[in-house]
Amino acid sequence: MNSLSLSYAYLRHKILSTALTAATFAVGVAMIVVLLLVNAQLQNEFSNNLKGIDLVVGGKGSPMQLILSSVFHLDTPTGNISLDEAEKLSRHSLVKETIPIALGDNYQGYRIVGTTQAYPEHYNARLKAGGRYWQKKMETVLGAEVAAKSGLNPGDSFAGSHGLTTGGELHSGLPYTVVGILEQTGTAIDRLALTGRESIWHIHEQHDHDHDAEGAGHKNGAQGHHDDGHADAQGHGREITSLLITYSSPLAAVELPRQINSTTSMQAASPAFEVARLNTFMGTGTETIKYFAWFLIALAGFGIFTGLYNAMNERRYDLALMRSFGARPGKLFKLMMTESLAVAIVGLVAGVVTGHLFVESFAAWLASSKHIHITGRLFLIEEMWLVPVSLAVGALAALLPAIRVYRIDIFKTLVRR
Amino acid sequence: MLEINGLNVGHDGNAILEVPHLSVFTGEHCLILGASGSGKTTLLSTLSGLLAPIAGELLIDGCNVHKLRGVAMDEFRGRHIGIIYQTLHMVGALTVLDNLLLAQYAAGLPQDREKAIALLEHLGVAEKKDHKPETLSQGQLQRVAIARAVINGPRIIVGDEPTSALDDRSCETVMELLLQLAASANASLVIATHDQRIKRHFHRQITLEGGQ
Ligand SMILES: Nc1ncnc2c1ncn2[C@@H]1O[C@H](COP(=O)(O)OP(=O)(O)OP(=O)(O)O)[C@@H](O)[C@H]1O
Ligand SMILES: [Mg+2]
Repeated sequence: MNSLSLSYAYLRHKILSTALTAATFAVGVAMIVVLLLVNAQLQNEFSNNLKGIDLVVGGKGSPMQLILSSVFHLDTPTGNISLDEAEKLSRHSLVKETIPIALGDNYQGYRIVGTTQAYPEHYNARLKAGGRYWQKKMETVLGAEVAAKSGLNPGDSFAGSHGLTTGGELHSGLPYTVVGILEQTGTAIDRLALTGRESIWHIHEQHDHDHDAEGAGHKNGAQGHHDDGHADAQGHGREITSLLITYSSPLAAVELPRQINSTTSMQAASPAFEVARLNTFMGTGTETIKYFAWFLIALAGFGIFTGLYNAMNERRYDLALMRSFGARPGKLFKLMMTESLAVAIVGLVAGVVTGHLFVESFAAWLASSKHIHITGRLFLIEEMWLVPVSLAVGALAALLPAIRVYRIDIFKTLVRR
Repeated sequence: MLEINGLNVGHDGNAILEVPHLSVFTGEHCLILGASGSGKTTLLSTLSGLLAPIAGELLIDGCNVHKLRGVAMDEFRGRHIGIIYQTLHMVGALTVLDNLLLAQYAAGLPQDREKAIALLEHLGVAEKKDHKPETLSQGQLQRVAIARAVINGPRIIVGDEPTSALDDRSCETVMELLLQLAASANASLVIATHDQRIKRHFHRQITLEGGQ
């Protein structure tokens, strides 16, 4: 017999209240873990996507929407911009690199993006062995997730469907051919099918024979252009959805957005600024949940405290008995501490495991319905904080009941009950 | 041996009774008789080091017990005095055997399973060693309480009405076992009771006046 086996016997004796206390504690810990995991991974995905993109130029509208649609591929675009104007901008002295984005269609909900090779290269995407980039129109390179989910391989072909979400009309007459697959990048590219801009124009010029361009911001003003095989060079009247810009000098941050917003019909939005704005909205949300989780942990600590306090009260005969056998108060103190810490540790472990399982089990759902990519199989250094905090809560909860043990009057407790 | 000089016992400074002089030599036993309210429990509690006397001294093997304070008192009591409480105070979370080991653990003595089991065997409750106290009968519990009181080899075994809840036969068995254990451990039995059935086992008896 020692303080461990004795604590174990007592905890088992009142297994229900022990389990309840540990469970409350675990819920608090699990919430913190979920928050930490989700927050860290979203931040990470944010910063991966933002990497080096200084400015996004697109149609007038909400700047937030422009960033979300063009950088994160989450929202619908604000409207198109003319290719001419976009190309003029590319030659601007303050601009180092531009990436065109032309949206319009999707494959099984994954956006088909008309762009240039600069786009995957900007995010250091690498082609998997056996693949190459598109050279002709209607050739496409798939992001890692698109390839994995669809099972398509180089050489396979598929038909895109109209619009940015599933359910649009199928362009079955103009199938795409897969020519390459990209490695995982941890950015939005993973869930895109990339192709040349010509493919998008080509499809919609055919399409616009019988349809008025509408919806999903794909409106290409190039009706009637049938000979688009080498239209690249002239591109008169053609449109793209947006342009991602990298500055050539820090000066551009001051000059360029103002210039674009005041002298053109286009809108320039800074991703860094919009994401910071987004963070202040979301931030208050996650902060609130975080405080709530800490509150739960404190509550669980209080639960351990009251649980122990009540147990101590019920057990004052046993504790007095131990003292009448000569047990030093330190021994009883150790016993109470062991019990409390055991509950806290069980709660901590259960909470950490539950938190990770929770995130992991929701990861698939989040990926398919919200395009948010997180995993539960990730351990953060921040989680280590939960260990000292849990132990401190457990120790604190045991302190008062343990101190009360010193004050037990054995005679009054055992003889005069 | 146990020696009392001018011991005045009571509660909160109010004396209930005085024992001018009493000495119980090693191996001797003593029965304390008295009507209800005469102060038997009060006196026994003082003899066990649970209740401070109003005046006088109590020596156990030469040690002035009530000069000890706090931890020292608890430690002395744990090693030298075996107490059988009127309400037995078994620990419900532990098995019968662990209840015995608890006394050794609490006193900081080595835990001797063999000794504990032998003791339970001797008292006829060994087959219950892995059961929780709540599943034992009153007579069985009484015997476990005795085993627990003697396991640390005390010099004095103090019992407050250890037989009053028992029928005639159990009363006889328990008394015989107590006397046997005390004899083999060379300890003194000090028992308070109004149970007339056990009078014949004791040469030395003191009767407290008052009460009722
Ligand atoms: N904690 C206490 N505080 C004050 N007075 C007490 C306390 N305990 C007992 N007394 C009083 O001391 C007297 C002796 O009580 P005690 O319990 O010692 O009697 P007893 O001989 O053991 O009686 P019984 O045979 O009924 O157990 C009684 O008058 C009782 O009221
Ligand atoms: Mg009494």
